[in-house]
Amino acid sequence: MKESLLDSLGWRKYIGQETSTHTGEPVLARDIRRYALAVDDHNPIFFDENAAKEGKYRGLTAPMGYISWAVGVPGSEKAAKDLGEDGLATFVGVPEIPDAWTLGWVRGGEEIEFIRPVYVNDRVTVRGKIVDMSEKAGKSGSLIFVTSEFVYTNQDGQELARHRVTMIATPRKES
Amino acid sequence: MDNQIYYEDVAEGQEISRIEKRVTTVNILMYLSTVWLMDRIHFDHPFATRRRGLPNVVAPGNMAGDYYAELLSGWAGEKGNLRKLSIQFRSFMVPDDVLTCSGVITKKYVSEGKGYVELDLWLKNGNDVNCVPGKALVELPIRASATT
Repeated sequence: MKESLLDSLGWRKYIGQETSTHTGEPVLARDIRRYALAVDDHNPIFFDENAAKEGKYRGLTAPMGYISWAVGVPGSEKAAKDLGEDGLATFVGVPEIPDAWTLGWVRGGEEIEFIRPVYVNDRVTVRGKIVDMSEKAGKSGSLIFVTSEFVYTNQDGQELARHRVTMIATPRKES
Repeated sequence: MDNQIYYEDVAEGQEISRIEKRVTTVNILMYLSTVWLMDRIHFDHPFATRRRGLPNVVAPGNMAGDYYAELLSGWAGEKGNLRKLSIQFRSFMVPDDVLTCSGVITKKYVSEGKGYVELDLWLKNGNDVNCVPGKALVELPIRASATT
């Protein structure tokens, strides 16, 4: 019988592990506008506070995908020389597995449950947890699927969104 | 004058409205700099093509989630809400792709007095490849309860 890669890495102990909690700086109107322009969504609720209030919002809100960036990626603000050669500083979605770098990673997919809108000046807190790991045989060896869940809350402790990210690890081709 | 779509107006198997999105290198740069993402596959052409064997620099997959959110928020209207969105990164979106973004209703049901629809979503490039297939749960207002 082939040995499980997950077992040989000893990663099963990380299932259920909570990752550290991070709180972002207040959400800026400027970042909301720039994000909306980046994804070419010109809905006035992202640009004009009055337009947002005429609708169902109590203030300027952000495009829905912005929630996953509202805290910023912990550890990503490094000098260029201190980033990995691929430009990455940390893992998005696979935090705190110390030997994660021994494998190559791609994002598999994600699911977001939207509970409340994020508003300008909100201070968003994220709590993360590794909720599942599984393994499948792929063409060039085992693939490991790691699913983390991130819960975002605002400064009043209200839940804004629940975000599940699945990362896929593959044996590194290059060395 | 009411452009609002209601739960009673939709049926399983029905295709919803569509939008077209064109992702350019400028959009990618705007996105990366706003969220502070320095992954070289998104902006460094020699790295993306020679080191990673990609056809070009590639757009961050998360942009697809915002395309779907725009589609579904527009379709659901002021009284509707996008409740859940899941996406799978299958093929890369590359600069100057024109992506057709739409979906089909797979299920509708009422729960606790609210109307819900489930959808299968697609974001197809010019080669008819669904780069980032998705699923969504959208809440729609119920006309019967709106008039009482």
